[in-house]
Amino acid sequence: MSLEEPRDAKPEIGVTDDGLDYDALAALLGDTLLDREDHVTTEGFVVRPDDVQDALRTLKQEAGFDHCSCVTAQEYQDRYESIYHLKKYDDPTHELSVVVPTSRDDPVSQSANDVYRTADWHEREAYDLVGIEYEDHPDMRRILLPETWQGHPLGRDYDQTQPQVVTLREHANPLQEDHMADDTDTMFINVGPHHPATHGVLHLKTVLDGEQVADVEPDIGYLHRCEEQLCQQCTYRHQIMPYPDRWDYTANLINEWSYARAAETLADIDVPEYAQVLRTMSAELSRMAGHFLALGTFALDVYGEFTAIFQYAFRDREIAQDILEDLTGQRMMHNYFRLGGVVWDLPNPREEFFEKTRDFLDDLPAKLDEYHDMITSNEIFQVRCVNTGVLEPDVAKEYGATGPVARGSGIDYDLRRDDPYGYYPELDWDVVTEDGCDNYARVLVRMQEVEESAKIVEQCLDLLEDWPEDERTLQSNVPRTIKPEPDTEIYSAIENAKGELGIYIRSDGTDKPARFKIRSPSFSNLQALPEMSNGEYVADLIATLGSLDIILGEVDR
Amino acid sequence: MTGPLQATTLPETLSGLLGLNTNDPLQWFLAALIASALVGTLMLTNTALVIWAKRKITAAFTDRIAINRVGPFGLLIIVADAVRLLSKELIVPDEVDRPAYDLAPLVLASSALLGFAVIPMGNGIQIADPETGLAYVFAVASLASLGLVMAGYASNNKYSFLGSLRAVAQNLAYEIPLVLTGVSVVIFAGTLRLSEIVAAQSETLFTLGGLAIPSWYAFVNPFAFVLFMAANLAEVGRNPFDIPEAPNEIVAGYMTEYSSVYFVLLYLGEFIHVFLGAAIVTTLFLGGPAGPVLPGIVWFLIKIWAVFLFTQWTRSAVPRVRIDQLIEIGWKGMLVLSIANLVLTAVIVGVLV
Amino acid sequence: MIGILKGMATTMKHALDGETFTVEYPDTAPDVSPRFRGVHKFSQERCIWCRQCENVCPNDTIQIVTDEQRNGEQYNLHIGQCIYCRLCEEVCPVDAILLTQNFEFTADTKDELAYNKEQLKNVPWYKDIDPLESREPDRGAWIGEGEGEIDYQ
Repeated sequence: MSLEEPRDAKPEIGVTDDGLDYDALAALLGDTLLDREDHVTTEGFVVRPDDVQDALRTLKQEAGFDHCSCVTAQEYQDRYESIYHLKKYDDPTHELSVVVPTSRDDPVSQSANDVYRTADWHEREAYDLVGIEYEDHPDMRRILLPETWQGHPLGRDYDQTQPQVVTLREHANPLQEDHMADDTDTMFINVGPHHPATHGVLHLKTVLDGEQVADVEPDIGYLHRCEEQLCQQCTYRHQIMPYPDRWDYTANLINEWSYARAAETLADIDVPEYAQVLRTMSAELSRMAGHFLALGTFALDVYGEFTAIFQYAFRDREIAQDILEDLTGQRMMHNYFRLGGVVWDLPNPREEFFEKTRDFLDDLPAKLDEYHDMITSNEIFQVRCVNTGVLEPDVAKEYGATGPVARGSGIDYDLRRDDPYGYYPELDWDVVTEDGCDNYARVLVRMQEVEESAKIVEQCLDLLEDWPEDERTLQSNVPRTIKPEPDTEIYSAIENAKGELGIYIRSDGTDKPARFKIRSPSFSNLQALPEMSNGEYVADLIATLGSLDIILGEVDR
Repeated sequence: MTGPLQATTLPETLSGLLGLNTNDPLQWFLAALIASALVGTLMLTNTALVIWAKRKITAAFTDRIAINRVGPFGLLIIVADAVRLLSKELIVPDEVDRPAYDLAPLVLASSALLGFAVIPMGNGIQIADPETGLAYVFAVASLASLGLVMAGYASNNKYSFLGSLRAVAQNLAYEIPLVLTGVSVVIFAGTLRLSEIVAAQSETLFTLGGLAIPSWYAFVNPFAFVLFMAANLAEVGRNPFDIPEAPNEIVAGYMTEYSSVYFVLLYLGEFIHVFLGAAIVTTLFLGGPAGPVLPGIVWFLIKIWAVFLFTQWTRSAVPRVRIDQLIEIGWKGMLVLSIANLVLTAVIVGVLV
Repeated sequence: MIGILKGMATTMKHALDGETFTVEYPDTAPDVSPRFRGVHKFSQERCIWCRQCENVCPNDTIQIVTDEQRNGEQYNLHIGQCIYCRLCEEVCPVDAILLTQNFEFTADTKDELAYNKEQLKNVPWYKDIDPLESREPDRGAWIGEGEGEIDYQ
């Protein structure tokens, strides 16, 4: 497997002025293509299970689909299906789904791991939850559930009431068998699941050579809460919306937008302009809160547990949360968005809200200066962070990295601008990128993104202040029950604080989704950790983990 | 050479007060025991105060309120915490290497306390004043490394093991610059006897607007002072050199497997160590217990608390360096600088004297 | 070196200005915003047992038991399981269930957090604030009734 596959000189096949020419792409695949499906925002190309690598490689090398955003697996009455959601880093509106049906008796499909490195974990998840097996996959194991789990919970035949026996073998003393072998100088060490630096319940199986990391393998799933299945049991109209808040629980509100966007596109619901402005503003406030937390906890990892930066970051996060509490009624689990709008207007008296938010924004530059004094201009911090945890752009793309992690590697990719939604296109702001590819660059990106978010909030405030009173429509007219046409499929994504948060929904004609798949940015970003930290020191492993800013609630879902 | 201000030691004073015969070894031993108990209690009380002070100081740096419930200013939290910690279950993991596991906390705590035996604290509070005082202080302070290795190795825990290895590497790298910088002071003072080093600093360096600036070695040789402070931070394991513990990387280093009383001892030992470091800094560079108006012991306490405050201050704002960087700073930076400082001092003193 | 000193100067500045941003809870009751959503309050007098709240609840927190004539017998709500999404309040046509701003509740066991209608009725207001005044639920999306005086006593 090579990480730097030579990109063809003309990756422009199938690109026309007004989007993608799917016929040209279909011609590119030739005989490999079995069938074409219509998805809401894109087309699905059906290929045979043993042609997956060929088809994907052709699309990646010749048509420029360098971003494998997500792999969705699902089981129909008569078949299993894996869907590879492909995109381009240059223009994420160019989307294509590659649909791979496999028979129910023998659900084996070729692995895409050789083409897109990121498919590794995604396919393991598909195997774990749905039960499709992937040939040539380097490591076909369960990823979220314990190894001893019986059955595949998202499969149709799965018996929910079946008792699961998780043997104590899983809890065996980790010290027992990892004494240093005679012929090796390495030491195996468990970082986590309960460790001060994992910011949650992440388990890193680490092999150390002295102080250096010889190998690290993230072991996830400790915070798996069946979010996908939960959403499949809830109605579109109201019940799903409270749950996205719980995925990335540091920048909650933006997640709601991912579901709102997917469901609104699916059911063809309009959102009033005024609600879009409110959404944009609240989402950016939430992004700021998330970035403050990321900054504070990263400082904890590098500075040690007595650092003041952590508290200062929390102080500022508190203010953002207070404002959001005034607006939405909760500090974290907002449940503010509704399909077709938002639930509330600004709190009365409006002036007070404007003043409070403006004060926060006005104080921000001074505070950011303070952060720069304490963090980025500190020489020891620079020595610690520059050129550690290096993630080259090519590798980042291989792993499907998005968000500040990708932008810290110089990848100019931000769905708010590239795949516009909400009120973002109307506003004046910039996408921040840094070319450092290291821990330092990622911190810089987050700090500058706070500034950009502040700019957006500021403009939204101006808009809201001048909005005519009789045009303040909060919600469009949405039917009480939403039942999209059977077998409509949609994959759509938004930019949350960690990167591309995508939702795949397939409807089956009822008021609940038949398949609800969450593509979380932290999941893909975390996958790149071994690549970034092998050969580095333990301290840098911890710093790199911190700068990836993963949220386990989002990784494990 | 006898210093002009060399006072009698505390056991001698006590013998005088109690009418003990200093020539009788048994009575002399009794006097020394009482003196040690007094000094030990003073330092342990000091360290107990850390439980409260540390939280208050950290809270001040981080804009928080911190403990204020139990007693005035929350001071009684010291008692509450002591009871709480001591009443916890002592968990000894399987297959720890006893008795090294049990001895390590003792070694750590006592090695630091031993150092105070020769520190002149003013008002005649000094248990012993041997010819080789400074060498003795450095020697017993280094014993702590032994405690760390014992704790880390005996705990049968990989984090502890990593932590103790780091501690050894760090102490080796920083002990040498520390001692060499200390030696530059010795060259100035011409003696290893601590009371004489203090006495040598009592002369007036120059007068600034009617204010007599004493010839503390921090003023005479600020470079050596900065060097010593930095090496001392590493020696006692405080930011930016707190990597033997580094909770975010290796949980708590050598302390990971300790609980209850053993933990208290380790914790205490660590802070006595910080205070011993502060006491050495005070004695060598800040004129020891010297100061106007207030009695010597008060000045001494103020100075060591100031150094302690400094360690907390660096904790609030200075990142932790990486182990390889730490070793590099130690061997390639500080060692070179301290040798340069030593040679320079020797030359200057040689030329002037 | 300059950077390190700048960082240290910043923390020292904070230490000396004496400002704190934490509050002494529980001595100082924290301010919650008027829209804050806490423990529910239920009014049996107003409830028309239409079961809309039970239906909309995303995780089956509300359990309603009625007899054959659809007269309400029990209204149980597990406040430890609730995710405080406020959909029940939003859907209620008569404001029979609403979320107070009270966020303080304790129990010895999980079971004690399952409140019945009497317990729900006795949930106190937080600082005597009736949150309904500050929330302007968009009833248009639900049903056009429910105006008028509300008496929760």
